[in-house]
Amino acid sequence: MERDLLRQSVSYHGENLMLLLKCEQSENPDFKRVAADLSKTLNQRDKEEGSPVLEQFIARKADLLFAPSWKTSTPADERQEESGEAHAVMPPLEQFMEVCFEERRELFYRDVERGDVVIGRINSVRDFGLFITLLCTAGGLERDIEDLEIKALCPLRCVPSTGNHDDPLSYYQIGDLLRAGVKGIDRYHEKLTLSLYSSSLPPHLDKVKLGVISKEDLPLHYTRGEKVTADSSQTYEKLLESSLGLSNPLNVDYLLGKLGVSDTQTPSLMRGLQSKHFKEDDFATAIRKKQSVSWALKCVKVGVGHFKSRRYVEAMNEYNKALEIDTNNVEALVARGALYATKGSLMKAIDDFELALENCPTHRNAKKYLCQTLVERGGQLEEEEKLVTAEGLYKRAIVLDNTFQGAAEALEKLQLRIQKSLELKEQEAAKEQEKTKTVETSAEKLRKILKEEKRMKKKRKRSTSSSTSSDTSSTSSDDSSSTSRKKSKKRKHKRRRSSHGSKKHKRRASSCSDKTVDDDIEWFPAPANTSASYIDQKQSISKLISEGEQSWEKSRCEDGRGRLDDAIDRSLENLKHGAQSEASRPGRPDVNGEVTDQHRTQSISECARNRRDSSSTQSEYSQKSDRYSKEFSLQGRKRSESERDDGRKSSGGSLKKDIPSNLLDIFSQIAEFEKEKKLQK
Amino acid sequence: MSTQASTSGSVNEARGRRSAEDVEDSKKHFRVCRFIIDTGVKLGMRSVPMATACALYHRFFQSASLQVYEPYLVAMSAIYLAGKVEEQHLRTRDIINVCHRYFHPESEPLELDGKFWELRDSIVQCELLILRQLNFQVSFEHPHKYLLQYLLSVRSLLNRHAWSRTPIAETALAVLKDSYHGSVCVRHKPQHLALTSLYLALQTYGVQLPRGELEWWQVVCADITKAQIETIMSELLQLYDMEAKCT
Repeated sequence: MERDLLRQSVSYHGENLMLLLKCEQSENPDFKRVAADLSKTLNQRDKEEGSPVLEQFIARKADLLFAPSWKTSTPADERQEESGEAHAVMPPLEQFMEVCFEERRELFYRDVERGDVVIGRINSVRDFGLFITLLCTAGGLERDIEDLEIKALCPLRCVPSTGNHDDPLSYYQIGDLLRAGVKGIDRYHEKLTLSLYSSSLPPHLDKVKLGVISKEDLPLHYTRGEKVTADSSQTYEKLLESSLGLSNPLNVDYLLGKLGVSDTQTPSLMRGLQSKHFKEDDFATAIRKKQSVSWALKCVKVGVGHFKSRRYVEAMNEYNKALEIDTNNVEALVARGALYATKGSLMKAIDDFELALENCPTHRNAKKYLCQTLVERGGQLEEEEKLVTAEGLYKRAIVLDNTFQGAAEALEKLQLRIQKSLELKEQEAAKEQEKTKTVETSAEKLRKILKEEKRMKKKRKRSTSSSTSSDTSSTSSDDSSSTSRKKSKKRKHKRRRSSHGSKKHKRRASSCSDKTVDDDIEWFPAPANTSASYIDQKQSISKLISEGEQSWEKSRCEDGRGRLDDAIDRSLENLKHGAQSEASRPGRPDVNGEVTDQHRTQSISECARNRRDSSSTQSEYSQKSDRYSKEFSLQGRKRSESERDDGRKSSGGSLKKDIPSNLLDIFSQIAEFEKEKKLQK
Repeated sequence: MSTQASTSGSVNEARGRRSAEDVEDSKKHFRVCRFIIDTGVKLGMRSVPMATACALYHRFFQSASLQVYEPYLVAMSAIYLAGKVEEQHLRTRDIINVCHRYFHPESEPLELDGKFWELRDSIVQCELLILRQLNFQVSFEHPHKYLLQYLLSVRSLLNRHAWSRTPIAETALAVLKDSYHGSVCVRHKPQHLALTSLYLALQTYGVQLPRGELEWWQVVCADITKAQIETIMSELLQLYDMEAKCT
């Protein structure tokens, strides 16, 4: 209980109240604590206005009236008066009451605080400041002080300078209306110090402009007060009734806000209306929500009935009705999702399930159906070759429900498939790269080489030279024409081309090794391959290499050139596929753009070197490849430079460096082999 | 002489009977008004619409009889109508829900069936009845805005710290809200009611206001006398006694 309040009340009403309080509040522990102090501070007041009924009331309701929690209003900060009159602005009551001079003066000095705003007229300008006679209050206090002739000083240091180096006081003249903030008060000596700096005001009065003002800026309560003094027939009532603010329909809300009282939680002194008697469940919004849910469920049940009898349209109508009654109703969403899934709109189904799970994360059916739908959708995507998205969906399904077998199995299958497809792509890409590289390496380079060979052939006058040259010419023409073709076409044509003369491959191989060599020194190193699938590629490539080796071994024994070539073809293809798939992954867009022939070959050579380091079994091959690299360096350089302008984007370029030294060695060996053959012939 | 005595006796008897009835009636009215205010809180009604609902109810039964019209139905319709008049529209569905739960605590919400629609129909019909009974004069001037204006004026008379620690505004508003349990709200001018509740609040806390030629309440309401204030105050305080009897 608020001790001071109680004391104030008791001292106002006297002994009677004390007795009554003791009687009524005897069980109240709070009161007992305070009661002891109270009995000491009793003054007898004049008893002509004793009101027993009121005292009885106070005594009975004391536990409410004097409770600390009774005071709910938060003092709202005084804002500057708005131009529109939200409520009636009245002159100070003092004026109407005709409170006497002395009392008003006394009260003013008692109540004025630092930070209040006052308005006054300058009555003298001295060296040390301005003397002001106060006219009215303008914020923080509302009193009738005009005739009190209160004088205040605004010292020089509190007068802001007006920019120029003139004496700031010269700006002010006698008779100016000034708005200033109260800076200091000496209540005993009744002296006021004012300031024209905004810093003297509290933060919520920041916007108040201090300084010289005009008559229009005088506060409304003052101007109205003036009218009242002029016209004595203007009473408070009349003024109130005539003011616009009173007819504002929203003035109650506004004023309640100004006083800091909430409108829907107004207090009551009736025992039955105390807030503790109100249960949250009895409120309108709570009941409505419960009701909506049960109505929506009824609709959903009917809808499920339709669904089971295959009447899908009616079922959808019922579900939509249910969702209108109660948006985000979990059961309705799940049922609708199931309907969508059955009809095939899997994305809509997934949306509905997700929303349902948001609202109720533990809904079993929602989870189950969502898993199933995700897996189904994943299957659809798989067929559309959108493997990564499918993977994501499967993973989400597993996250949702670990025990869902279907999802786990599907994910495994998918991952295997992804891996396989990756491998395939790598192989193809490698092959493609090889091919394109070899093809792109230069039509001219090939031609030169071919010309050389032709010369050599002519020298040796081989019978087969015509066929080879024809082959090579045909193949060279093929190559040159194919340089302009896109890679995808080449891939398709690869099978066809591989059936061409095997010497074409040799040419390519030789030019490939050419390519690898020259770009060593001149071009920039390719960006590092940081993708994890690199590891897979290595393995796949090593598999390929071992395959290639085997086939090479075989061909050594037999005249299995064709087989070797096929092996090389395959390996090339794999690599190219791998390169393409790798490059098509979103993580490496930069490589796509920048790749040109040089990079490819440069990276290949680098990789070749890496490969050499990594693989232990092919050291002898590396030596050979070095030799051949040096041999063809000159020719290769010229060719590659002409090829720089080749604008064809090759996505497989990044992986060219992945071609192991083993393959290069194989190619170089092939070249060597061929040469030997020719020499023999 | 004897006949006179007997007639006066019978008149007294009649009066006694009537006053007994009145007492019963006023108890009934009290309970129904309690129902209105209770429902209003649960519906989130603001003070003025709630006041209008109670005023409509009291005015209706000033000219109608409790025996003929079901008071709780009139109350529900009064709430509905008041919401429309004071621009805080309430849905009949919410009113029915809250009232149903008032009479059947802890029950499930009503199903959307025939019974529900019948209830809704009866509310709407009763609304029309109230309008006709009151000659379609359904806008009231409530004491609230006057009370708030007076509070502002009185606040300026007090020291700000004294104001901030004394819950004058809350008490005055509480008293005003509780006054709607009885017909006092329709039998006096709104300014007087506002004044009285403020006076009551100030007296409760023993707040001393400066005195001038005129008392503050004389300034605020020129035509009121101290006696009138006292009368209204006692009527207001009686309502609190009635609570003990009725509930």
